[in-house]
Amino acid sequence: MASSIPASAPAEVVLVPAPARVKTRRRRSARLVWLGAGFVAALLVIAAAAPILAPLDPIRQSLRGRLAAPTWNGTDGHAHLLGTDHLGRDVLSRVIWGSRVSLLIGFAAVLVGGVLGSAAGIAAGFSRGRADAIIMTLADAQLAFPFILLAIGIIAVLGPSFPTLVVVIGLSGWVSYARILRSQVLVLRSREFVESIHALGGSLLRVILRHVLPNVLSTIVVVATLELARAIVLEATLSFLGLGIQPPTPSWGGMVQEGREYLDSAWWISTCPGLVLMITSIVVSRTGDWLRDLLDPTLRGE
Amino acid sequence: MRGFVPFLGQRLFRALIALWLVSTVVFVVMRLSGDPVPLLLPPDAPTSEILRVRRELGLDKPLPVQYLIFLSNLAHGDFGRSIHFREPALDVVRGYLAATVELGLTAFVLAAVVAVPIGLFSAMRRNTLVDHAAMGLALVGQSAPTFFLGILFILLLSLKADLFPTSGRGDWHNLVLPALTLGAFTMASIARLTRSAVLEVLRADYIRTARAKGVAEVWVVAKHTLKNAAIPIVTITGLQFGTLLGGAVVTETVFSWPGIGRLAVQSIYNRDYAVVQCTVFLAALMFVVINFMVDLVYGVLDPRVRAG
Amino acid sequence: MEMTRRDLLKGAAALGAAAAVPLTAGSPALAQTTQKKELVTAQSGDVSKFDPHFSTSSNDVRVSFNIFDNLVSRHPDGKLYPSLATEWKLEGQTTWRFKLLQGVKFHNGDPFTSADAKYSIERTYDPGAKTMVATVLATIERVEAPDPSTLVITTKKPDPLLPARLAFYGGQIIPKKYVESVGNDAFNAKPVGTGPVRFTSWVKDDRAVLDASPDYWGGKIDMDRWIMRPIPETAPRIAALLKGEVDAITQLPPDQEDRVAANAATRVAGALYAGLYVLAVNSKRPPLDNPLVKQALSLAIDREAIVKELWRGRGIVPNGPIAKGDNHFDTSLPPLAYNPSEAKERLKKAGYKGEEVFIETTVAYVAQDKAMAEAIAAMWKDVGVNVKVEVIEYSVRAQKNREKSFKGVFWSDPTSTLSDPDGMMWRLLGPGGPQDYWREAKFDELGNAARFSVDEKFRGQAYKEMTKIFLEHLPWLPVIQPYEDYGIQKYVEFTPNPNQQFEIRRFNFKFRRA
Repeated sequence: MASSIPASAPAEVVLVPAPARVKTRRRRSARLVWLGAGFVAALLVIAAAAPILAPLDPIRQSLRGRLAAPTWNGTDGHAHLLGTDHLGRDVLSRVIWGSRVSLLIGFAAVLVGGVLGSAAGIAAGFSRGRADAIIMTLADAQLAFPFILLAIGIIAVLGPSFPTLVVVIGLSGWVSYARILRSQVLVLRSREFVESIHALGGSLLRVILRHVLPNVLSTIVVVATLELARAIVLEATLSFLGLGIQPPTPSWGGMVQEGREYLDSAWWISTCPGLVLMITSIVVSRTGDWLRDLLDPTLRGE
Repeated sequence: MRGFVPFLGQRLFRALIALWLVSTVVFVVMRLSGDPVPLLLPPDAPTSEILRVRRELGLDKPLPVQYLIFLSNLAHGDFGRSIHFREPALDVVRGYLAATVELGLTAFVLAAVVAVPIGLFSAMRRNTLVDHAAMGLALVGQSAPTFFLGILFILLLSLKADLFPTSGRGDWHNLVLPALTLGAFTMASIARLTRSAVLEVLRADYIRTARAKGVAEVWVVAKHTLKNAAIPIVTITGLQFGTLLGGAVVTETVFSWPGIGRLAVQSIYNRDYAVVQCTVFLAALMFVVINFMVDLVYGVLDPRVRAG
Repeated sequence: MEMTRRDLLKGAAALGAAAAVPLTAGSPALAQTTQKKELVTAQSGDVSKFDPHFSTSSNDVRVSFNIFDNLVSRHPDGKLYPSLATEWKLEGQTTWRFKLLQGVKFHNGDPFTSADAKYSIERTYDPGAKTMVATVLATIERVEAPDPSTLVITTKKPDPLLPARLAFYGGQIIPKKYVESVGNDAFNAKPVGTGPVRFTSWVKDDRAVLDASPDYWGGKIDMDRWIMRPIPETAPRIAALLKGEVDAITQLPPDQEDRVAANAATRVAGALYAGLYVLAVNSKRPPLDNPLVKQALSLAIDREAIVKELWRGRGIVPNGPIAKGDNHFDTSLPPLAYNPSEAKERLKKAGYKGEEVFIETTVAYVAQDKAMAEAIAAMWKDVGVNVKVEVIEYSVRAQKNREKSFKGVFWSDPTSTLSDPDGMMWRLLGPGGPQDYWREAKFDELGNAARFSVDEKFRGQAYKEMTKIFLEHLPWLPVIQPYEDYGIQKYVEFTPNPNQQFEIRRFNFKFRRA
């Protein structure tokens, strides 16, 4: 939901800040970007080190100690700092392990979407004819669609597995990359030296790699960061609807769903993973914003 | 205006193609998801029964033939019969449509009405507590997952504070939490946008002139802001409709709101092809129409766009 | 450290107090008496069909049994009572003569006669009508209506349970003239019956409104109107009860019962379900084709813990395929045992090599299905079974049910429709039945004989032997016979019915008035 590029608006700028302020903003943005990146890095470490960090086995049940409030000394003799869920499993451990699902699927989906989208954008920009029209119409069509319904439909058909989720979530975001790459390619094509290289028989691919990609790299990074936040949230939403990673593997969205029935009594089951998810989404999308301020203020079109 | 008609024409063409693509994708996905007939009959129904019902629903024909029938029906506004409700799909969807429109409109109006003044105030009281608090909330509203926002609202405002009912549709009390949840993203976007636009205006010279002349700052700001921010706000409006529609699916599920979002999800689970097709098509149609109108307004406002 | 039920209650009450929803002052829920004329209930799903022959789902049964009457009625005490039939007599081996109530009118004014009864019964198994209850009255050979107040039913073979069959779904009486003139779909949209309430309106996913029939033959019920609201999510359904927005809710999960009990204005009322919650087994799929494996799986389930912790004690451990309260329930049989070390032994004896065992569970189709599936999966893992839990949609389950294509075990809540093993174990596990994954010649021979015998001693013996065969081959893994609980306002006086009927007729339901 944190998409930043308006569909029908040109890629040009609408508002540009006055030069004098840019330097201070950029310095501040740089610091904040490091903060945000640090947060993601910390999450990655936590996810990787889950087996060591998590105090208990996330799928270990204890029927006698179910629905326990956060405590230092539970009925099974262990501390449950975030309480236990309806099957007696430790919520803290499950939240820690749940980060694996979110990050893994999030990054993988961004990769898939980014590669597919960039390829589509490049193809569209270069072809200028039929392929361009087709690809751009596909993009319009996707935006005309409440994508979540398509996602639900596909996953309900194919079953919720890791590759399906990655592909579906990845597909939800290809349009942004495609548009960026396409306009860059169009800009580049208008430069004469590209035509000359082509006329002289030089490889198009080389042109892309040497001229297009470096230019768009910073923009892509910004978009990818914002897309990461969106992918993580989409995965959690699908898990919430029961279409994500299946039990007993913990996932943040799934945990919120499991705790729904106990919202008025054992509220920690839903709130803890939900808050962690929310904070992650906020920090990552904010980092994307700061990155954008830093690298490419021309994108501030929202 | 020379380039305008071709521009519109191109947009219209793209819109129609988009609608066609959407319907086709829905058709393919739903057909792939398996046979809905076993859901309708008792578990011990004989095979002859199954075959008979399948024939009755037209499901025994080869897929391409089904597709052509489907397309021609679509052109006539015939979306087929709901397997689950045993009524024409269009009638079923129409019954649920009002609830979603009610929710969506309320969410959008609420968002606009609340967000614009907030954006205005935040910009005018820049870097104060109010500004930071408002922008902080806007950040949460834009990044937080809709489903969890809904859950939080239910927990804090309904279960703990007992201010609103927990779910369902009824009088205006039932509308508040779902509308807040659905409109959060829009509200946040509009607030931030308004704030940026106002900040720009505040830096301009004519503000100082107005201040010197003693004109009430707010009005000058408002007037000029609107002019400047018109284009991006209109753009966002069209986009927000798409997000609203998508968000409605989740919001309606969390609050058990009887709208087409929830209907679509349930129908997917029930393999009720006709209703799914109808819902998605109508949603896409609404989105395309609104986008088209946005493009129209955009084209009027900004001549650069018509050049393509 | 063992937590006693009291500890649980204390803990839960403390939680409840901390999270208490304050009732607004002057709320009618605080009173223990009421002047209400309108009943509002909430259940976990909307009505899917009003036509009583087209759905057996509990959410539909609760409503259709009040719009329509049967010839015979089963009351909450488990006994059969006259309803539209005032008396019945067995003549010879296979002929039953029913005397019908006079002067009864359908909601549209048409008089009720034997022609309607004949039409209703024949419709259930009419291949052209394609009803959901086609096999319920399959023992009937023919139906005759010699005069407007007499019905004669001849069964194919001696069928001692015929009156019981007529008391449950499939036995609802519908108006012949009306249905024939408007057709099934219009009848479903505007149902007409003889019951204590008549259909007024229905807004899908919102509410069904039913008005009391003022001249109901059994006496006008203690209300003018009944509004049924579907609230699928548990938390809001309970909140609606606690806030006094509804008078009764169904499908109350045991975890929430303390809150309802602790609230001054509400209480929990439940009945032991006339049926079982079981994991039905696709015995055609290895390793589940090996009886030793199934016995091991059964021995590895700690049913006591499930009943005590997940169900807060609201249930009993089954001892076989017959539900407590049914005819021929064997009180001498011990509850199904929990013995993990013995389970491991049997797995070894069976030569189990770690093949995958699937639990395909739905979510909220059978109460607590997903939670129990996960708990049982952990128990099976503990004895070394390679178990995989897969969550499937209800629609997928229905399809697999039809195609008999389950991968392993799946949840089922067989209802004992006749209070007799014939109506549950035999109906479902017999040859050609919906859960026919396993066959055993002796079992079939006994089942058939018992169905058509009028000698209760013989039947008892037959079912005893069938139970023995069942326990060896375990086509079902019975897990629990739970209480199905309602949350009701204290001013509602009502006894729940074990077979999921929601009985609001005068003899069972009234508001406590000052």
